[in-house]
Amino acid sequence: MKFSFRYIQDKIFTGFATGAAGLLVVVLLLVLTPMVYRGTKAVVFQGTIEYRKMQLDVFGRGDIEVIATEKAKAQQVRDKLYAMIEGFKKGLDVDVLSGRAKNIYRNYGKEIRDKELASEEFRRRRELSRKIRNELMTAFSLSDKEQIKAHLDNVLGYKDNTDFEGTSAKDFFALAEEFSEIVENIDLKRRKEYANSLGEIEGAVLKLLGPLPGDAVPALVQDRYGCTRMDMAKVQIDRVLYSQRWVSQANNDSLVKVKISRVQQFAGTEMARLFDFVENNADAMLMPKSTFYWQYFIDDSTAGHYFGGVGHEIIGTLLLTIVAMLFAFPLGVISAAYLVECASDGPVTRIVRMCINSLAGVPSVVFGLFGLAFFVLYLLPLMGALSKGCVLTASLTLGVLTLPVMIRASEEAIRAVPKTYKEASLGLGATGLRTFVKVTLPAAMPGILTGVILSISRVAGETAPVLFTGAVALGPLPKSLFDPARTLSYGSYDIAVGDRLAMQVPHNQYGMVVTLVLLIIVLNTAAIFLRAKIFKKLKGL
Amino acid sequence: MAVMTEKTSNINSVSKFKANKNPDIIMKQKDDNCKCAVVKSEDFSFYYGDKTGVKNITMEIYPCSVTAIIGPSGCGKSTFLRSINRINDLVLNTSTSGKLIVDGHNVYSKNTNLVELRQRVGMVFQKPNPFPKSIFDNVVYGAKLKGIKNRSKLQQIAEESLKSAALWDEVKNDLRKSAFALSGGQQQRLCIARALATKPNILLMDEPCSALDPIATGKIEDLIDKLQTDYTIVIVTHNMQQAARVSERTAFFCLGELIEYDQTAKIFRNPGKKQTEDYVTGRFG
Repeated sequence: MKFSFRYIQDKIFTGFATGAAGLLVVVLLLVLTPMVYRGTKAVVFQGTIEYRKMQLDVFGRGDIEVIATEKAKAQQVRDKLYAMIEGFKKGLDVDVLSGRAKNIYRNYGKEIRDKELASEEFRRRRELSRKIRNELMTAFSLSDKEQIKAHLDNVLGYKDNTDFEGTSAKDFFALAEEFSEIVENIDLKRRKEYANSLGEIEGAVLKLLGPLPGDAVPALVQDRYGCTRMDMAKVQIDRVLYSQRWVSQANNDSLVKVKISRVQQFAGTEMARLFDFVENNADAMLMPKSTFYWQYFIDDSTAGHYFGGVGHEIIGTLLLTIVAMLFAFPLGVISAAYLVECASDGPVTRIVRMCINSLAGVPSVVFGLFGLAFFVLYLLPLMGALSKGCVLTASLTLGVLTLPVMIRASEEAIRAVPKTYKEASLGLGATGLRTFVKVTLPAAMPGILTGVILSISRVAGETAPVLFTGAVALGPLPKSLFDPARTLSYGSYDIAVGDRLAMQVPHNQYGMVVTLVLLIIVLNTAAIFLRAKIFKKLKGL
Repeated sequence: MAVMTEKTSNINSVSKFKANKNPDIIMKQKDDNCKCAVVKSEDFSFYYGDKTGVKNITMEIYPCSVTAIIGPSGCGKSTFLRSINRINDLVLNTSTSGKLIVDGHNVYSKNTNLVELRQRVGMVFQKPNPFPKSIFDNVVYGAKLKGIKNRSKLQQIAEESLKSAALWDEVKNDLRKSAFALSGGQQQRLCIARALATKPNILLMDEPCSALDPIATGKIEDLIDKLQTDYTIVIVTHNMQQAARVSERTAFFCLGELIEYDQTAKIFRNPGKKQTEDYVTGRFG
């Protein structure tokens, strides 16, 4: 009876322990898998012709001729799309049409003035042309088909007037005929709706395909190219095909976004063809190809992280981490040595120890502000340097942040060194310092390296401390310790808080985070190998 | 006595019973050519805070001989031994009174150079405690402390020390190997070699065989026997047979006090005090 109870107890405990471990693994996978999946997209994706154009322009990669051929091929398809939009747009805009009428009127006025007619004759002709112009403009502004027809007929009635023979006034009639054709095709009552929709379509097409070949090159690099990635292109194609509206629900519930197909909106017009065209020819316009962008890890990025990689961020993160560890490692070990070897167990030591323990729990943003106040605003001017965040101040802040971890790990490690080592060394006539350096420290090194591993993970990933003390989102590689640097953590933070940036370059944000995780894993693996090697040596294997 | 012979028979090959020799003759022989230091304790007391470690010890340890200190646990024999090279300083909050003189100098006087003292007074600990380094580095650790950097000189010191610790033949081919690769007995002899490498006059041994098997113990005892011609050896031991085997003189400590100090033969055969007799015959407690 008693035995079986114990047995069950034992099994329950084992079950719980296994369950907890399993749960941990599941949670870890749940957290990591989507992140890694999205981060991988930064490197492996469907790159469009725009991507290859960008790589050629910005990074000088790729075969110029191949890209030019591809570009020409894609342009043929694109031109058809542009033509469709242009064709439809012509009839829509009252202002544009009116403007054209006004222009013709003005040109004609000039023409007849040059003819040096009698003032009466001049006035008559002028009057007539103004009348035609006004008729046209009225026709443009109306939306009823019959009324427009009447006005246009009035205008066309003057077509055979001899006054206008051989003058630019015949453009009036061309315009009138063009418009009468448009009127046949378009429901002018929905003109405004069409114009809005067309504006949206044009915006999406601009983002999808980039600026037109003839247009001026935009100042910002990210505006020079269409969608470089097929996944982002699909979003823009979706914008072309559907309009999005916020619709209120019943019972005053929150608004919901619904997609409305534009095909129905433009049903019966020339434009209806466009949507099928875009859907069917997306690949022809963008020419997606599977791309493995391994240079992601070495490339610089353009402003806003639209294009390029995280090379500079990796270098910056490594730099900050290494300098921070160069600062924290010796200081931490020396402090720990003092606490273990020198300090007596007095109230002062107890307070120091308490402070260290409390510091370990202080939020990192507090360290960031401390770094700003002390290192940037006070120490740098004191050193005669410019008071701005830089690698040095950021590293020092990170060093201070990780100092408690370093001290505690080192303290435990030094304390764990067998007392016999110390006795043996002292018994041979070594001084305390020599005993510490030659015997205690090497024996404590594996434990201290555990502290280093913990510190590296913390330091490399921290954002808040470097926020104010030397991280930047943009800028060249630091040339000295007094230049700011870009870091992975700050980069992903910058994308997150940047205006809609996270929606436009999600792959980059996840890419940075995954790169950071990889970087930490690499650094830690190196430290673990080093530790294992030292451990092996200490054990004499 | 019965117990003793029984035990010694376990290690026949190495058993020696010093009491059979005539100690006076041995002493005389050595006095002529021995440059070893004399340790003298004059009314020496050692306190851990309020607790007494040892109390009013007055004794003289003779040069170039083996002196054993025996006694029950907590009697202060280790405390006394560890006071001689002041390794006790590691313990916080201690105080002393009286004098403990090594080579005519009170080690607890203010101007004692600890480094020099400890180089002259080598120590071997209860458990083998080689450093986590190679055998060679272990042996020459003390020599390096003295500032010797010449490799061939260090090599020579290592060889000499290992030879005098009777370990040379076993390790001469793998000096670069880690000290942890050695067996427990070898490690302890390595520790002795390490202590010898600083060329001390006195060798303190704090239960050097308590963690070793009988065969390793026998080897260490042989070594002690060999070393006593050149070193003053003080050995603390729980094993009375060992004390009888290796030492010329034996001191019996009890409750922090020196009860009796005399030639080993006398202590074990004809002790002067009842307490000593009770202890050596196993009736103690």
